[in-house]
Amino acid sequence: MRKSPFIRVLLLIGILLPTIRIAAATPVIDVEIKNHLFIPSEIIIPENTKVKLVIHNRDETDEEFESYELNREKVIIGNRKGVIFVGPLPAGEYPFFGEFFPKTAQGKVIVK
Amino acid sequence: MNSYKYCLKNSLILLSALIVFLMSLPLYADGASGGTFIDKVYHPYVQPHEREIEWRGTYKKDSELRNQDNAQRHKLAYAQSFNDRWMGELYLVGEKNRQKDFKLASVELEALWQITEQGEYDYDWGMLFEAEHETEEHISEISSALLIEREWGKWVGTANLYLIYEWGSHIDNELETAMALQGRYRLSRQLEPAIEFYSSDTSEGIGPVLLGTIKLGGRKQIRWEAGVITGLDNETADETWKFSIEFEF
Repeated sequence: MRKSPFIRVLLLIGILLPTIRIAAATPVIDVEIKNHLFIPSEIIIPENTKVKLVIHNRDETDEEFESYELNREKVIIGNRKGVIFVGPLPAGEYPFFGEFFPKTAQGKVIVK
Repeated sequence: MNSYKYCLKNSLILLSALIVFLMSLPLYADGASGGTFIDKVYHPYVQPHEREIEWRGTYKKDSELRNQDNAQRHKLAYAQSFNDRWMGELYLVGEKNRQKDFKLASVELEALWQITEQGEYDYDWGMLFEAEHETEEHISEISSALLIEREWGKWVGTANLYLIYEWGSHIDNELETAMALQGRYRLSRQLEPAIEFYSSDTSEGIGPVLLGTIKLGGRKQIRWEAGVITGLDNETADETWKFSIEFEF
């Protein structure tokens, strides 16, 4: 027997309505991965603001930007760049590390 | 670049509107295949150079639905990303129930497309494309799903909105819609509680799920899930236990 799609349609409209919003310009911060280090290792961003991190991997090997605190996980292929959006976030420190070279590739996003 | 993003956003809104429209159509469906939709909630993200082996299983309990009671479904899959936007997965699906011994029931092919970067917009977007052939029942199915995810602090909400076309020699060809929702609390990397809701033309259920990730160093990690979905109608098993384990490398 066919069920009514009413609940599915209602939930979908509820999900989609808030998406119709124009985003403001996003500040961009460049970060390098070199010799398995994040440069800079401390990234300062303003409170409650979305920021675009452009990660340039200057190493031959892949690296993964990993942060459970930021809810981000992104593999940056060697000699390529990748984009990670963080925020808007409340003030605080959010550590991140390179999953493939965790002993050296360490850093934190400082929100203030 | 801005005009590209404007077009992308408008395209996604139009696509969503199209799915809303299709979901509201009085599509014919007799549920002849009787397949369960309770399985997995997909997330709209792909990592480059990722490979994984996955096992998923469901086990149903319902003393009144004899054809579903003690029914098991097992999926074994291999997945590989092609770049940072696309990932493909091949499944072998085996089933067992009171009438049938365990045997290969279907073969599935899946492609996951990450459309937007995580956090780029208020919602993250992706699409899933699936093709399935049930070897014994001679039923084929193609489907596409819009994958939407959003985080609110430590909470993450995910929606999978499906449009499914099914055909075969023993069933009426039919177009179906389905939806899977997940609300997940990011307690810790090892353990995240969630609640999942499934609704399709032939089944509806809700229940708690636990998820987690075990890091093994480098690219290697294990993702696991376990949960029980309670049927909300007479056609869905009272309990559908679901388990999955993925080894990424």
